[in-house]
Amino acid sequence: MHKRGKLSLYWKCQLIGWSLASLYWNFVGFLGTGFCIWLAVIHFFADLLIYIPITHLYRNYSVRRRWHQLKPQQLLIRLIPAIIILGLLFMLLTIGKNFLVRYTFEAGFSGSLQEEFNERWLTTFVTGTRLMSIWLLAYYGYHYAQREINATRESARLAIIAKDAQLNNLTAQLNPHFFFNSLNNIKAQVIDNPQAARRAIDLLSELLRTSLYNRDTPLITVQQEMDLIRDYLELEKMRFEERLQTHIEVDQTITGAAILPLSIQTLVENAIKHGIARRKAGGSITITVHPNGHSLQATVQNPGTLQTPAAGGLGLKNLAERLWLQFNGKASLQLTQPTPETVVATITMPLT
Amino acid sequence: MKPYRVLIIDDERLAREEMKRHLLAYPEYEVVGEAADADEAETMINTLHPHLIFLDIQMPERSGFELLESLDQVPEVIFTTAFDQYAVQAFDTHALDYLVKPVREERFARAIEKIRVKMATRTDARETQSLSHTLFIKEGEQYHFIQVKDIYLIESTGNYARLFYANRKVYIKRSLNQLEKTLDPALFFRTSRTNLINTNFIKQVQPITGGRLLISLQTGEDLTVSSRQSAVFKNRNKL
Repeated sequence: MHKRGKLSLYWKCQLIGWSLASLYWNFVGFLGTGFCIWLAVIHFFADLLIYIPITHLYRNYSVRRRWHQLKPQQLLIRLIPAIIILGLLFMLLTIGKNFLVRYTFEAGFSGSLQEEFNERWLTTFVTGTRLMSIWLLAYYGYHYAQREINATRESARLAIIAKDAQLNNLTAQLNPHFFFNSLNNIKAQVIDNPQAARRAIDLLSELLRTSLYNRDTPLITVQQEMDLIRDYLELEKMRFEERLQTHIEVDQTITGAAILPLSIQTLVENAIKHGIARRKAGGSITITVHPNGHSLQATVQNPGTLQTPAAGGLGLKNLAERLWLQFNGKASLQLTQPTPETVVATITMPLT
Repeated sequence: MKPYRVLIIDDERLAREEMKRHLLAYPEYEVVGEAADADEAETMINTLHPHLIFLDIQMPERSGFELLESLDQVPEVIFTTAFDQYAVQAFDTHALDYLVKPVREERFARAIEKIRVKMATRTDARETQSLSHTLFIKEGEQYHFIQVKDIYLIESTGNYARLFYANRKVYIKRSLNQLEKTLDPALFFRTSRTNLINTNFIKQVQPITGGRLLISLQTGEDLTVSSRQSAVFKNRNKL
């Protein structure tokens, strides 16, 4: 982390903080009597040489003990003795330093260390305790803030990953059974009706291409979805023959609108599975896509009765979840039974 | 040798075509009919008596399993499905052969071979029809084939009959009278209004009061035979 030639934030704070404190004391001295610039300079450097090492040693100890990772309450219990010890150290070293400087440089200074100590120990200790408290507060405050920021950033990142993964898991794909059914039908026709078999291979190729290569496209146009559905239905008609009739109505003004891929297709697949395959006589499926205010509405109607509970199968559940995730809750999926013999599935998506 | 009669049951015409094409390679199997749903199939099974049926599991209205459940006598079955194992999870898969469509020729050949062995051993052993008599029953959520000859006791419970076989008891939705008509009278004996027993499982017959008989089965059950049926039994067995 620490680059050569560039001071870390920690060292900048140490230097600037203690420099300011020392300058302040010198300023106080300047306002008093007997101020001497040389003494001030000596005091300044002596301050830095004492206070930075003490706090730095403490910091090393704290890092080794991983105190910055503790919970506030656990940290507080450890900080009280730490502040007292640091305060005492501050007091001893400050009194010692001041005595030494005055003894060495101040003309006519004649006090003893004992006197000096008796006179000043309490105020110096209080000052030290206060300063050390500020230092510790700044140090751990910074770490806590940093941790908080990291946690927030991390949880935001995880939320995005989770959403992506969810969408991926739900990624629409054509039902594999559909492919096997189609292949079986093609196989059945290869000899007797090669023309139909060739057509089916073309349709199936197109669907496979979409299914395999366009999986990661979050949105496609209504036109693309409807093209796919037409191919899909043509293949299913090969399978169900006269049992499957279809009607498609698409409002031409919204063919360029963006929708979730395989959303309407899922409804159609469901309609075939529940409305056509389960009835001997089959039936008719009607698909409509039209604008409705600021939304796009797609409906798929099939003969049949709604099963209770109307939760639908995994396919519809996945579709509902995909809609929710992709449009942040602004899209919906509904199953209704307008008459005793028809079921309508409706998706509403915001029109963009 | 007369070919085996085969019935193909699938709601999709192309799927039936495909099975027929597979069978072209096996002249000893003759396709005698095709059915597009369970009702049609039931009628054809009861009139054509096929030896073997190819049966699609997923069909409209009644599934292949439901069709078999309603049959009094189940022919050999090769299940077909466009789905994977998941579709046959309701079945005790050890006892079943099923083909996943589209079917490879090798796979089809193996299924036919299995059936051939099964049917050949039956003919070799000169087993009567009653010994190969098979039923298809649903137990809880599971389906099984059971051999009628393994059933040792049948108890009437209203519209249902309770079948006892191999330490198991299963219910079948048929009255005792209905069931009795489909069973071989040489094998099953009506001991009373509520019971049918498999005579192969009789261990001991003792006379009791009133000229009645007490029949003990090898499986431990003791059944009192009604006066009328005791007379029938004595007469039949020259007692």
